Amino acid sequence: MQRAIERKGIPTISITVARDVTEHCQPPRAVFVPFMMGHHFGVPFHSELQQRLILAALKHLVAAQRSGQIEIVPVTWAQARQEGKAIEQAMSIRN
Amino acid sequence: MTAHSSEAKQLRPGLWETINERYPGSMITKDDLVPLARLRKPLSEARLTFVSSAGVQPKGTMPFDVAHPIGDFSFRRVPSDASPAALEIHQIKYPTNGALKDLNVIFPIERLQELAAAGVIGGLTPNFFSFIGYQMDPARFERTLAEEIAEAVAAERADAALLCPA
Repeated sequence: MQRAIERKGIPTISITVARDVTEHCQPPRAVFVPFMMGHHFGVPFHSELQQRLILAALKHLVAAQRSGQIEIVPVTWAQARQEGKAIEQAMSIRN
Repeated sequence: MTAHSSEAKQLRPGLWETINERYPGSMITKDDLVPLARLRKPLSEARLTFVSSAGVQPKGTMPFDVAHPIGDFSFRRVPSDASPAALEIHQIKYPTNGALKDLNVIFPIERLQELAAAGVIGGLTPNFFSFIGYQMDPARFERTLAEEIAEAVAAERADAALLCPA
């Protein structure tokens, strides 16, 4: 699908949590985040992280020089979860 | 090992092999590369669209057929100004524990609205595009759904597309 959109002259970027799957289907551009399936943009209520991941993807959309390049976003699931838990705890205290 | 190392590991390694063993012929492998299309304007002027295989759809639209053995080759338009409360998820292939608390972890519609409002991106297409990732006939998928969504994206005059293969 990404290839079909790119062939229309529209640049594309995908955000993937399955690096091997992405390496097999070789989309024009992709960023990999080492997160759990279904959590491509991080953890609940962590708006800053969610936004940072979108921006990382858009940065690669602009910067990629060759087709098929997969950029790795420097984040870890452990840290995202830890921060997410702290955010949820703070929210439950407020409520 | 740093997180930025090329050795950064995914949480579910061997996914391609696992699925291709279970559902032979369902996984896509490409040997060629498509030439890169170039962004013709700065991001701050570009109209962005979002394409998702997460099975997110406006409440009240026909639910995706998650039980069909071959998959559901239809897609839904999701208004880009929708609120998460107006959307629901129909799919059974990825964990939704995060998304059920905050849809933005898989369908970051509010973050995209904020980036557009802040002028980081020029704007959003009127609709985003959504389907389910369970597709067992890749040739049919490429021939039909992929082309239909590509046409719909072009028709909404997107300058760039963010895709999230769930």
